[in-house]
Parts: sequence; structure tokens; C-alpha cells
Amino acid sequence: MSFLTDLIVALGQFINRYLAVLGKAVRFGAQAMAFGVRGLFSRRIYPRHELIVQMDYTGARSTAIMVLLGFLVGASLVIQTTPSLARYGPAELVAGVVGVSILRTLGPLLAAIIFAGRVGAGFTAELGTMAVSEEITALDTMGIHPVGYLVAPRFLAACLMLPACTVLFDLSALCGGYVVGIYQFNITSEDWFNVTKQFVKMSDFIFGLSKSVVFAWLITLVCCFKGFHVRGSGIEVGRATMQAIVICLILLIISDTVMSLIYNFMYRMEWVR
Amino acid sequence: MIEPTAADANDGPPRAATPAISVRNLSKAYGDNRVLDNMSFDLERGRVYVIMGPSGCGKSTLLRHMIGAEEADAGQVLIDGLDLQSANPRQREEAKRKYGVLFQSAALLNGLTVAENVALPIQRHTDLPRSTIDLMVKLKLELVGMGNAADKYPYEISGGMKKRAGLARAIALDPAIVFYDEPSAGLDPVMIGVIDKLIRDLTAKLGITSVVITHEIPSIFRIADEVLMLYGGRIAFRGTPQDLRNSTSPLVRQFVSGDPEGPINAPRQLADLSERLIGGARRKEAQA
Repeated sequence: MSFLTDLIVALGQFINRYLAVLGKAVRFGAQAMAFGVRGLFSRRIYPRHELIVQMDYTGARSTAIMVLLGFLVGASLVIQTTPSLARYGPAELVAGVVGVSILRTLGPLLAAIIFAGRVGAGFTAELGTMAVSEEITALDTMGIHPVGYLVAPRFLAACLMLPACTVLFDLSALCGGYVVGIYQFNITSEDWFNVTKQFVKMSDFIFGLSKSVVFAWLITLVCCFKGFHVRGSGIEVGRATMQAIVICLILLIISDTVMSLIYNFMYRMEWVR
Repeated sequence: MIEPTAADANDGPPRAATPAISVRNLSKAYGDNRVLDNMSFDLERGRVYVIMGPSGCGKSTLLRHMIGAEEADAGQVLIDGLDLQSANPRQREEAKRKYGVLFQSAALLNGLTVAENVALPIQRHTDLPRSTIDLMVKLKLELVGMGNAADKYPYEISGGMKKRAGLARAIALDPAIVFYDEPSAGLDPVMIGVIDKLIRDLTAKLGITSVVITHEIPSIFRIADEVLMLYGGRIAFRGTPQDLRNSTSPLVRQFVSGDPEGPINAPRQLADLSERLIGGARRKEAQA
């Protein structure tokens, strides 16, 4: 009986602790969003050039890696899929498979994973170091809201630049698939484009882009929140960065699955075409 | 004397008799560890107060409460008559203009130059034109002898320079109160002397109230108008540096003399540990 009571108490405490953290994280995210929007109209929330700096860091500097990895993912997808498809039907069907899978799931998800590794880890490490060296407390004592000054520009930049990176990743992946399809499997350009047109809809592209906005929100929230709450020494910064990336990956895949189910439902109900 | 309530304290401009800082029945515990135990004291305007005490006695916790960085379990901290914990966000923001903080690590933003760091609170709290802000920043940096390092980044300057730049930022808005968290930590004796002189000069020239957290005994005698010693979550001693020197309290005498033997627990534990380690080695030597 006592064991059962202890178990229930421990479970209650565990749930209570995690709900408290979740509540803090949601409040943090809402503040970041509110300050991000307010900052567009007031120069006192964060300096305007900070938004440009963050857009450069999160977007422009991610261009090369997005293009390279996107191209390779598209090429690899065609190399792996075409022989199997060719056994059951025309090989050019691979153009449709690649188009749909890249635009709906692989493009947004892989771009977000790369973004989390490159940009999100940077956010946690940077803010964690600032927390450890009391820079965040210093901002607060100067009457400058740290979430507004530090998180809001990162949040806005990520929400703008991850969809841009996703478009880049999608295009590179489609190019990679096309190049390999044409030169490796002798599919004609005309067949490739005809099949792509039949399979791929505008809604696939828009759905993928919508997902990337949600992913950007999740990555910024998790990584900045973890960075903000680092306490102790530099070792904790490394630990928080690792935890942030693991949580990001889990949340990205869960949210991708949930959004895919929602999209599928909407598709079946003929709400999207 | 009638104790001011939070409601009284938050209404209207501060009266001349209002202390710069009032700590009322402040308590804070982390788990079972009671760090601040129903602590109360007032700090008057225009004086240098040193808060000292052994490591872990709650000095930094008290400072974090005074600057509004942490919430108390019970009690109040009134800055110029305003209770930070119960104040609304606008009042808190106004209150934050009244004090500056020099952090132990200086806490300069590494992505900004020294001048940009000093300009930050001015830009945030005023609508002054850029040229006026630049002039104010220059004046503040000259005041702490950092005029020639305005364009350097924090990682390009020494620890002492960082402290002085942090001090320039702390006084950027001409605050009525400046808090110093271990200003001499990690500095050489000459630089400690420079920082001490700066604290005295700024208090004399600008009429600010200085609250210095330190356990650097020579600094305490150089700068303090009054000393408060914390121990066991309470004020164990309050008096002038002369009172401190003449105190017969075993606690104060042990702390000032740095004697490992005495009523302060931590050094005794360390002394015991040292005895066990060295004694053990000696016994082994004797056996050999």
C-alpha cells in the first residue's frame, strides 16, 4: 500500500514538474512571438540590425549546406527507388514519387533537421554562454527584456528563413533527382516533367512550407528556452545544447507525423486539392 | 516608527526620509537550506555599504533579491520606497532606471563594443539623439578611465578593464544606487585599489548609494562607510569599519583575521580535512 502511495506521489510530482516546465516554455514562446511582432514597430525591443544579422546567420549562411544536401538527398532517392519501380512499371514514375515525398515530407523535415543542427545548436550555445556569464541577468537589470532583446529577433529570423531554406532544399532535391533520372536511368526530360505535373500539386508545396513555419517555431522555442535556462558552468552549456537538439528531433518528427495525418484527413475530405 | 506597507510605498514620489534601500523581513530557502532568514535593514542615501560574510552565507542571494533578479519566499525589498516584487511592469522598469549593477564577471555583452555596451541602457530608456548618446557614453568611459577602449570588444580587454567598462554601463543612466558584486574578484592588488578608488570617487562625485558585496578585507577598510556582515541568513554585525576593527565578536574577529579556527563552520571543516590529510601523511611517514 505504501509502495503504491509512493509511486502515485512520485508520478504526480514528475507530471507536476514537467507541466510547470511546459507552462514556462509556452509562456516563453508567446513572449518571443509578441516581442517579435512589437519589435517591428518599436526600436526599443531589439535593434533592427539584429534582425538582419540573425537572418544572415540563420538563412544566408545556411544556403550552401541546404543546396548540397538537398541535391544529394534527391539524387540518392532516385538511385534507390528507380530500380524497384522499374520492376513493376515505367521508371519515369519515380519523378512523381520524388516530387511528392520531397515537397510534402522529406524537404521540410530534412531542412528542419539541418537547421536545428546548424542554427538551433548555435542558439542554445550562444544564449547558454550568455546565461552563465550573467549577461541575461544584466540585460534584465538594465530594464531590457531579455526575451525581447535576444529571442525575438532569432524567432522572427528563423520563421522567415527556415521556409526559405526549405524552398532551396526542395528545389535542390528536385534538381538532384532530375539529373540522376536523366543521366543515370535514361528517363527523358519530357516524361519527367509530365509525370511530375500529374503527381505534384501546389497544395503539396504549400503544405510543406506551412510545416516549415511550425518547425522553425519549435526549433527556436526549444533551443532558446534551453539556452536561457542554463545554470552553472560551461559544461552545462554543452549538455543543454545536446538536450535541445535531441528534443528538437523528437518534436520535429512527432509534429511532422501529426501534420501529415491532418493533411491526409483534409485530402480525403477533399478540403485540399 | 510605523512600518510602510507595500501600498503606501508604491504611491507617490519618494520622500526625503525614505531610505535608498529597505529590506523588510526577507526570507529565502532553497529546499531545506534557509539562505535568508527574516532579514531586515535600511540603507541610507549617498553612502558606501559593504556587505560581507563567508562563502555561502547568502550575500549573492541577497544581491539578487535587491536587484529584482529573484523572488523572495517572504518579505520585501523597497528601492526608493518601491517594492519590486509587487510593482507592476511599468513601475519595475522605472525602478530599474534608479540603480545600476556591476556584476562579478562584468557581464558585458560580447557581441557589442565597450561603447555600445554603455550606450545600451541609454538607448533603451531615452529618446536622445545619437550624438547626445555618444557624448554621454564618452563621458562615462572617461570617468572610469576607459576612453581609449571605447571601440574594443569585451574579449579584447583585460579583467580590470572589463570591470571598469561594466561600471561605466552601470552608471550610464546616472542611477541613485549602484550595486557591486565582488568588484575585486580575480584582480591584482593594484587594480583592486583602482576599482576601490573609483567606487569612492563615484559615490563622492555623483552622490550615489553604493552597495558592495565583497570579502576583500583591505577593500572593506578603504571604501566602506558602513559594514554589514551576514551569517546564518541574518545580519550578524553592522557598524563602521572602525567598529569592525574593534569588534569583540568571535565571528567578526575570525572573519577579519582569516583564522581557520573559530565559530565559522566552513573553514573549520576545511581545517579538519587538512588535518586529516596532512596528519595521515605524517603518520604514514612516522610508520615508515
